[in-house]
Amino acid sequence: MKTFKDLLMVSLTGLFARKVRTLLLLLGPMIGVAAIIAAVGLTDSAKGDLKAKVNKLGTNLIEVSASSAFGGQDPTLPEDVLDRARSVVTVKSVAKVHELANIVVTPYNEARDKYEAVPIPVLASDVLLPSVLEVKLISGRWLNEFDEQATSRSAVIGIGLARQFNYLPGETRTIELGNIRYGVVGVLSEVELEPAFDNAVFITFSAAKADFVDADKILANKIYVRSQVGAEKDTSEALKIAINLGGPDEVATDIKSEALQLAAQSDQQIKLIVVSMGILASIVGGVGIANVMSISVIQRSAEIGIRRALGHTRSIIASQFLLESLFIGLLGGICGVLLGIVSIFLGATIAGWVFVLAPWLPPAGILLAMVISVIAGLYPSVRAAKLEPLETLRLG
Amino acid sequence: MLHEPETDADVSEQQLANEPYVEPLLELKEVSRVYGSGDAKVYALRDVSLRIMPGDFVSIVGPSGSGKSTMLGLLGCLDIPTSGTIIVGGKTVTGLDDADRTEVRGRTIGFVFQQFHLIPHLDATGNVETALLYRGLSKAERRRRAIESLDKVGLGHRHEHRPVQMSGGEQQRVALARALVTEPKILLADEPTGALDSQNAENVMELLTNLQSSERAVVLVTHAAEVADAAFRKVSMRDGRIVSDMTRVR
Ligand SMILES: Nc1ncnc2c1ncn2[C@@H]1O[C@H](COP(=O)(O)OP(=O)(O)OP(=O)(O)O)[C@@H](O)[C@H]1O
Ligand SMILES: [Mg+2]
Repeated sequence: MKTFKDLLMVSLTGLFARKVRTLLLLLGPMIGVAAIIAAVGLTDSAKGDLKAKVNKLGTNLIEVSASSAFGGQDPTLPEDVLDRARSVVTVKSVAKVHELANIVVTPYNEARDKYEAVPIPVLASDVLLPSVLEVKLISGRWLNEFDEQATSRSAVIGIGLARQFNYLPGETRTIELGNIRYGVVGVLSEVELEPAFDNAVFITFSAAKADFVDADKILANKIYVRSQVGAEKDTSEALKIAINLGGPDEVATDIKSEALQLAAQSDQQIKLIVVSMGILASIVGGVGIANVMSISVIQRSAEIGIRRALGHTRSIIASQFLLESLFIGLLGGICGVLLGIVSIFLGATIAGWVFVLAPWLPPAGILLAMVISVIAGLYPSVRAAKLEPLETLRLG
Repeated sequence: MLHEPETDADVSEQQLANEPYVEPLLELKEVSRVYGSGDAKVYALRDVSLRIMPGDFVSIVGPSGSGKSTMLGLLGCLDIPTSGTIIVGGKTVTGLDDADRTEVRGRTIGFVFQQFHLIPHLDATGNVETALLYRGLSKAERRRRAIESLDKVGLGHRHEHRPVQMSGGEQQRVALARALVTEPKILLADEPTGALDSQNAENVMELLTNLQSSERAVVLVTHAAEVADAAFRKVSMRDGRIVSDMTRVR
């Protein structure tokens, strides 16, 4: 431990004694690392807003809808669709809806003519929908079990519809669904992954069946699923099989943030090119270090000789020089990371992007600089250790 | 004034019986050092045997190329003989690996060279401290001992001067302080006054003479007759051989 402390002191003193040389050596790894950091950071920042959105919304929302195979009307999902979906192990939560057709929605009866032209979707929905979509309510509450059991005429409306109908938060209002008056109990906030919901009306399955469906059963025609993160593709395939099994209608799945994710992906080619150039710059910097260190070993051969005469072993000498290059790498790496971050910040600010810096990037940059510098210092260090003290001191 | 060693051996047996036995600090046994091979073979040293005893103050003289520096390198464990045995403090060093030889060197031997060989980017204290590195000493302890050693060679006012800021004589005294700070049993000096003017040379010789003690041995290689005459024992070399080894009568 004391030996290591001594080594540290000797190496740092050696570097400090030749400030200009040390600074010049820093430049190589510094520029390389800065280029890599800036390249990755800027290509990421260019899509930073989209990336942030993907992170916020999550990548794991899957929509499963019924689609009729032979052009039949109103395809539906099996009655036990929720159980079937839950049988897929990677499914975390699930909620079902049924889109009702041809219901005219108006804020009050007299306004019927004014609103008839604009179709507003009405959905029978279960109590879990907001939690699966991971959206909150702007005001009021969501439909609950009591509404469902009591067949109460309660409705929740999307935020867009609330604006359109001039609903004020907390206001007690009603809404006309095909001449039937429903009480508005809550307003759902923006559903970014399903924008159609912003203008939709949600009611319970029981109310929908009582007021709008003739059949003796009302089956879901769509479900929303949250899967385990990373298992979206597999989950969506498994859901198709689990739900479709034995049923007459086809099942289609859609990973809701897939398109967004694709759009948020950085330009991999540009990134690759600039990162390669950065790595190349680091390697050139490494060659520079190897070069200068080799010359330095020759220049300092008398110093090495006297150290050996004073009892410093070969491994001590090698470690001393290796530590010097390690510090050059460390310092160059840190300076490079700082320069890179400043570049990203300036670039993103000028272009109006969101500043994005992957957390693994700074340590990876410093590590790269250190690895390259140590490799570069290996040969000079071994040479220094191999010097014969007698030859470098040329006695008498 | 000078006697052949055989004369020394003539002391009465009575007297010998009273003297305690002392182990040589350093011993060369039929040591040869050959450079090159084949036709280019150079015998820098041929079958040399030599004992350095505690308290010895030895000068090694001889014409250029006679093998003085080669012998000093071998005595100082800086080199390995082609044949023969070297014993330092009772321990055979020939056959030891480099790390072990380095350890013996650091523990028992101090060096002074003609060209001082100070490390240019360190000040006087830093140079002296270098000899104390990797010995488990704290920075403060190293510094304390370095300053003490510098004071001993009369450089109390030059602690923070770098080699370029000092005269040759001062630099050689720093080198001397560096050699002494580890309290070596053997001090080896190769032409320590070779690069100094007569005044500085005298100064350094005086320091060297004062260093000699009953436990320590000083061995110096020199061309200058007056320097050689300062020593009690004079070893003369020619063509890689010791041609005479004489001790002054006390
Ligand atoms: N590295 C080497 N390679 C080949 N020959 C060498 C080497 N070092 C010394 N020699 C030869 O060994 C012989 C003894 O050299 P050494 O340096 O010991 O002489 P010296 O007595 O110290 O001379 P000087 O008084 O000039 O310093 C010389 O002939 C020299 O040429
Ligand atoms: Mg010589």
